[in-house]
Amino acid sequence: MQELVNAIVEMMENDALALTKKYLEAGTPPMQIVDAYKEALKIIGQRFEQGTYFVPELILAGEMMNAASDLIKPYISAEEGKGGGSAKVGRFLLGTVEGDIHDIGKGMAGMLMDINGFEVKDLGVDVPAKRFIEEARQFQPDIIGLSGLLTLSYDSMKQVVEALKEAGMRDKVKVIIGGGQMDEHACQYVGADAWVTDAVAGIKYALGWMGK
Amino acid sequence: MILIGEKINGTRKQVGEAIEKRDADFIRDLALRQFQGGASYLDLNAGSLPEREPEDMAWLVEIVQEAVPDATLCLDSPNHKALRAGIQKAAKTPMLNSLSGEQFRVDGVLPLACEFGTELIILPISDSGIPGDAAGRLAVVRRLVEMTRKGGLPDEKLFVDPLVMAISTGVENGNITFETCRKISEEFPRVHITCGLSNISFGMPLRSILNQAFLVLGIQAGMDSAILDPERRELRGMMMAAETLLGKDRHCMNFNRAFRAGKIGPAKGA
Repeated sequence: MQELVNAIVEMMENDALALTKKYLEAGTPPMQIVDAYKEALKIIGQRFEQGTYFVPELILAGEMMNAASDLIKPYISAEEGKGGGSAKVGRFLLGTVEGDIHDIGKGMAGMLMDINGFEVKDLGVDVPAKRFIEEARQFQPDIIGLSGLLTLSYDSMKQVVEALKEAGMRDKVKVIIGGGQMDEHACQYVGADAWVTDAVAGIKYALGWMGK
Repeated sequence: MILIGEKINGTRKQVGEAIEKRDADFIRDLALRQFQGGASYLDLNAGSLPEREPEDMAWLVEIVQEAVPDATLCLDSPNHKALRAGIQKAAKTPMLNSLSGEQFRVDGVLPLACEFGTELIILPISDSGIPGDAAGRLAVVRRLVEMTRKGGLPDEKLFVDPLVMAISTGVENGNITFETCRKISEEFPRVHITCGLSNISFGMPLRSILNQAFLVLGIQAGMDSAILDPERRELRGMMMAAETLLGKDRHCMNFNRAFRAGKIGPAKGA
């Protein structure tokens, strides 16, 4: 299994998929394989934080993960029945706030949350506060992620938090803001629970909140 | 990019002496360093007088392929006897440098390339010299590709060098080369395009900067190979950046891997 972890971490996508197939066909429990991917993604995240991996590595890791889950899915349903498999860690509602259309960081956050076991709903870009509230009522997220690259986004983010308060939902969710311009000051102004400047850092908060 | 290491060239003084004295260590070191720098092809030019050249070429082939068995050798000579001596010693089929439209090369080099099915560098030079414009160079290339096709060489084995003259002697010289590249890739999409880099900056200050810019523009014009000193760090960085920016680097992985391996960017400890 270490071989698979290494292949993923070293971005050998063909090797990783070949090994995944090999293990599945040999009858390895699918969740063991999923764990190998998680382990690998943890290391990839660390390398990202250390400045030796960059955005392309995260995207490629996501693609490997997606390709692998397509391979793994049939085995999981056979073994544990449809809808079986591991329970989701939590629900994550995500969007780039009104007035901003940046989506790279947001997309990455969504992808990484998904990989880490969250059920993710991505509302896209330029999302008004009202829509966040409507979707939150439906989706019942544990965490709401507000993304924005511009300093102008602070006000839109603040509006979402205010609207959550008005709807009586603020206590039921954690709010995390993400973007290149985020800092402690912005976090207090917005009234969020945490701020991050990259998607990998966001995962740590999210897993921590869910007690993982 | 397919890099052809240029340093084992007997017309350079130190190398010429090493060949004459049969200093195998010196040649091995040059070969190894270039291969580690990313040159998968190593040019071998004995640079000696015609009567000595076949023997010198054979010696070079032996030494270099023993030092770097995974490299492909690029036998560089106008002398078909030297080329044949090299081919006969070579463990794997070498590349020949080069065929041109000059009659003696058509008579001497072309039959060898066809007989052994070698890869082949093609220069747009005719008996009346180097054509001054892209259309003239293309005409020579067209004539030569017709011959190699007749001789059974697939286009994939051809590396056309569009040739470059010094920018110091004519400000259009860069454009002529780039236009030649574009015309060649349009008409012969399966041939490779390679180029020596240092001619462009002859007679100019800051030659390395000019060479880097030339390589970047050349890559955009269709060059997928270069004959160069692979140990030039800035040049390698620029080359990889250009390929990445032109969408030739899936997931930017070559660039990022080279960065991690310390092969591009500021030298460590510098």
